[in-house]
Amino acid sequence: MRITRYDRGYSRRKFLSDAARGALGTGVLMSLSDAIAANGEISKAYPEELLSIEGYTKGKVKTGDIIDASNVEFVKDLLEPVRYEQILKQGRKLKIGKTTTDIMRLSPWDYIEATVRNAGKAGFDAKGNVVNKADGQPWIGGNPFPEPANGLELFAAQTLNWGRHDASFYAMKLYAVDQSGDVRFRYSGGWCEFSPVARVTMEPKPYWPQNKGKLRFQSVFFLEPQAYRGTSFLNIWDYDHSTFPALYGYVPEFRRIRQFPSDQRFEPLIPGLTLFLSDAWAAGDPLYTWGNYKVVGRGPFLAGLADGWASDHPNWEHKTHGGPKGNTFWDATVELVPEAVIVEAEPVKFPRAPIGKKRVYFDARNQIVIGMVTYDRNGKPYRSFDGAYSVYDQGGKKFMDGKHPYWSWAHVTSSDIQTNSVTRLEQVRTLEGVYQSGANEQKYYDQYLTQAALQRLGAV
Amino acid sequence: MNTLRARLARWVLAHRQLSYLIFAAITVFFAAGLPRVKLETVFSDLLPTDDPFVQVYQAHPNFGSPLTVMVMIRVKDGDIFNEKTLAKTWQMTRDIDKAPAVDHEQILSITTEKARFAEATPEGIDMRPLMSNHPPANAEEIAEFRHRVDRAPNVRTFLISEDNRSTIVMATFIEAKIEYGEAFEYVESLAAAARDDNHEVFIAGQPTLIGWVYRYEWQMVGIFCVTLALLIGALALYMRNLVGVLTPIITSATAAIWAFGLVGWLNISIEPLLMIVPLLLTARSFSHSVQFTERFYEVFAALGGQVKDRVKAAEITMTVMMAPSVLGILTDVLGIVVVMAAPIPAMVRHAIFCGMWAVWLIPTGCVMISLLLATLPPPKNVQQLTGHGKESGVHRRIQRLLGGIAALSHGKRARLTTVAVVILSTLAIWTSAQIKIGNPVEGTNLLWYDSAFNQSVRAINGSFPGVNTLEIVLEAKDPESPEWTSHTVDSYETMTRLQELMEKGPNPPRATLSFADYLRESNRLFNGGDPRWSMIDPRERAVASAAIGSMMGSSSKNFSHVVDGTLQHSTVSLWYPDNKQETVDAAIAAATAAVAVVGDDHKAFRVRLATGTIALQEAVNRVIERYQWVVIVVLNVFILMMCIAAYKSVVAGIILLIPVNLANEALIAAMHLLGVGLDTNSMIVAAIGVGVGIDYGIYLLSRICEEIQTTTGSDDQRWAAAIDSALRTTGKAILFTASVMVIGIIPWYLMSGLKFVADMGLLLIAIMGINMVLALVVLPLIIWWVRPKFALRPNSLVSEGVDLALFTEGKVTAKI
Repeated sequence: MRITRYDRGYSRRKFLSDAARGALGTGVLMSLSDAIAANGEISKAYPEELLSIEGYTKGKVKTGDIIDASNVEFVKDLLEPVRYEQILKQGRKLKIGKTTTDIMRLSPWDYIEATVRNAGKAGFDAKGNVVNKADGQPWIGGNPFPEPANGLELFAAQTLNWGRHDASFYAMKLYAVDQSGDVRFRYSGGWCEFSPVARVTMEPKPYWPQNKGKLRFQSVFFLEPQAYRGTSFLNIWDYDHSTFPALYGYVPEFRRIRQFPSDQRFEPLIPGLTLFLSDAWAAGDPLYTWGNYKVVGRGPFLAGLADGWASDHPNWEHKTHGGPKGNTFWDATVELVPEAVIVEAEPVKFPRAPIGKKRVYFDARNQIVIGMVTYDRNGKPYRSFDGAYSVYDQGGKKFMDGKHPYWSWAHVTSSDIQTNSVTRLEQVRTLEGVYQSGANEQKYYDQYLTQAALQRLGAV
Repeated sequence: MNTLRARLARWVLAHRQLSYLIFAAITVFFAAGLPRVKLETVFSDLLPTDDPFVQVYQAHPNFGSPLTVMVMIRVKDGDIFNEKTLAKTWQMTRDIDKAPAVDHEQILSITTEKARFAEATPEGIDMRPLMSNHPPANAEEIAEFRHRVDRAPNVRTFLISEDNRSTIVMATFIEAKIEYGEAFEYVESLAAAARDDNHEVFIAGQPTLIGWVYRYEWQMVGIFCVTLALLIGALALYMRNLVGVLTPIITSATAAIWAFGLVGWLNISIEPLLMIVPLLLTARSFSHSVQFTERFYEVFAALGGQVKDRVKAAEITMTVMMAPSVLGILTDVLGIVVVMAAPIPAMVRHAIFCGMWAVWLIPTGCVMISLLLATLPPPKNVQQLTGHGKESGVHRRIQRLLGGIAALSHGKRARLTTVAVVILSTLAIWTSAQIKIGNPVEGTNLLWYDSAFNQSVRAINGSFPGVNTLEIVLEAKDPESPEWTSHTVDSYETMTRLQELMEKGPNPPRATLSFADYLRESNRLFNGGDPRWSMIDPRERAVASAAIGSMMGSSSKNFSHVVDGTLQHSTVSLWYPDNKQETVDAAIAAATAAVAVVGDDHKAFRVRLATGTIALQEAVNRVIERYQWVVIVVLNVFILMMCIAAYKSVVAGIILLIPVNLANEALIAAMHLLGVGLDTNSMIVAAIGVGVGIDYGIYLLSRICEEIQTTTGSDDQRWAAAIDSALRTTGKAILFTASVMVIGIIPWYLMSGLKFVADMGLLLIAIMGINMVLALVVLPLIIWWVRPKFALRPNSLVSEGVDLALFTEGKVTAKI
């Protein structure tokens, strides 16, 4: 017999009242962190209607169904307005997968273990930087705020470590699709991010001593089209959460590094893309260059979390659909996220930003970003981001990261809602047989993250 | 009477309820199309589709920045390098980013991050915005800002005027989202807020122009109402009874519903700039109705003037009036429709809308009106209406005047009049041959010279390269090519060479810009800033790298004025100080020569002439040159055929066409004397002038034919009497018709903020006036000398005379 107190209305009422109070205790039936600590499962924290799409829609939509214009109304409340519009008017479709309840499939294994191990040790120092409370030194690894009390803590964790590995290299392909459905630009290249602090897998841990004052090294370089081959950018982040990263660009022909304005983060890196530096992982800028973080909503949501890996393609490439010519959107599987926390922030240190605010959707279970909508200064939706993560363990196929299956993002869709252009990104296994996606390799630093590395990449 | 007309009239009047039902059903059908009616000005549709320049424009609509608004802030006293002006510019830039449907990636001013300067540093090249994160707030910051500006040559050319008094803020809008009126009002409000004692603000750019036109199109609704009120007032004054006023209103409104409903169903948008033509049609509809109604009352009175006689009177009127009415309306239709010959989409839509509106005047103005007259109670002043009552002094004076005019066309005075007419006609034809094609004004001919928009254009042209561009397009042969065509050596060298040729040739442009300029600048900066690096090695890798160097870290949209969104097509922009015809001619001649030097066919692209305001102005000129006379000749041929059919005489057609063509020549001669060139307006007006003007001739000729058959005496006496009598009667009707049309049009000339509309109004008034005078003087004169034989034989087709005995089985024997 069901306890009526926990019907659908109860969940909704609880989310609404908590959001209204600004309270951020996650879980509906019990504390989410208690449930996870008990057995690594979230089932006990949420009622049945938040754990399956069948329960939520009272059977109108089932796992395995495709959400399209004919049935999107049943899940309208689970989507941000942009995806809803795209499904309704632009032929976008989403396949419904089973809700992941095993928390270990929702982030890298070492990261989760460090999160549990270091729970309660993080705090902010006088400058607002996240530190290990015991010694005031930079953070030591995992999510510093697994039980976030507010929007700032959610963003602090996200800004601290984007890909949740100590180091990541993503071989990727990018496609810029215009409003008529034509793929205007095709790029391929590599993206590397590397943490000298808060390391949980790579030695030395938790810090790489010679760069302890840095938060991140990050670079992106391009292999295709031929004209852009070897063109690259390098970002070096200070650990100080208020300091703008240094941004360098390199064009092989000139053999010179070009320094860009450090606060120029609302321009696409290369032509045609609807992606700005500021958009990276929904936290592409230092924590305190944005402000007024506040929780503005909570509730269930549809997002791709564990099944985005295209294991059936030898190079992990995804199929597309929708838009005027069938190539605007990725084929994607989403699942019912029992609880998403929506945090709003404003670009307080960017007096020239074309953005008025952004709303970022975090999965309450692991505080990972599952969506973002930015708004222009009139408060109108401007650009939207959604994507899919995956454990690279699917139907008997596995791609390993040390002892455990690799966990990472699989694909991202970035939509400029005002011009109706879309940029699609996907992580592929390899480019040219040389550049392979992977994680936690110290060699990435020398390969991709120094000015000498940029010059070497330009020579290929 | 058993003609088709008579049988139709008999059937309609015998089945009045059914006929009403049919009219009601058709009206309901068309009314259902009304909600789909779109009034919109599509500017590209005002251009001829078959012109090579227009085809380049349509293939590359983004070149020439058609979606960009330019806001120029000008300091009255001093220069822009002061706290207040720079703060104003900063605020304008931030505020314009909030304009509805603005593309946030395409906002440019000296305050944006896109306006940068470069410095060579030990680590490489440091690119930084000219302005820091706030507008300079003290003398030191202003000095630093000024120092930076001096190191940014492109900013100096395009964002700060040479005299340092002006700066520009540019914002580009998203085509699919922009509501021109809304965007315009928003930017206007920003400008209004920014103006003060020491700052002027000017706004230009295509979206602004469209915004102004939209604003004035709302004004046109008001003028439309004024015009209708005037027409109804004139009608009331003339008819002095309710039925006489109601009947034309009901029939004209029905025709209007049908016309609007049809374009609604056809999903054709209506061009508001040409709304004066429907107004003219409404005026025509009124005058047709008045003449029909007057004839009805004459018949009605002759039948006895009893209520029971209404139906028979309506039947008789419909029978006798149908042929001349249809003929008159068909000439109107031809005058409107014939402009379709010119391949201008807006003209074609206009021809369908207005041409069909004129066609609808046939069922409503002949059939429906008969039903109404047969149904509505007759007025009490029938006697006065039919001329049997006491005529007022005004009528007597008009008749005396017309008698005087008639005297010019017969007897001894005819010789003198003929000499005068021949001399004047020769002068008119000679003068009209001197007219130039094209009617250029700096800015737009849609608005008045002193309009805020044209003032802004002149101000911006005075301080910056401005808005008069000629674009030479390098069009990629394979737009899908994986190697971006704009990034190749051949493209770079061709752009560079074209710029050199144009700059060093005769009549050089005041500025030139192409993607090659950005490449050179990028090459220079990446190589340490030394000007010697402004040249690029002619290697593919070197050019492509310079392209990447300029575009990296920046949206490709920032280059959309020189390279299209796919990076395949590019353009060389040439700015000229004005768009006077001699400037246009010289620019196009120089560009043609330059393209001949570089060659138009390259391996990966072809060089196409041309787009931009200069090229499009030339395209419009060329279409007028090609079609101005085609339209008139085609119209003459059609009308001649119709007149031959109606009068069964070639001579009749020729006699009728001489005055209207002379009127056209006279109008063109007058335009030339006033310094106005031929343009789209004059082409439309000329056609309508012939189509509508021929009506006067038909009225008068038919009346002379009827009169000559009833006169006696010598030949001279008979023709003189016929002319005299026709002018006193039908001449009065012509005067009334012309007056009604002038009343309908004159508010458009006096009140419209749109010069295009006012000009068309003025030209229409002029041509109608000239047509009227020539119909009253020249046509009778020609008849006096020719004395055509067809006039002596009975012609029931165009005759408005009626023998009532034929309709009443001899019970009523009057001929009226």
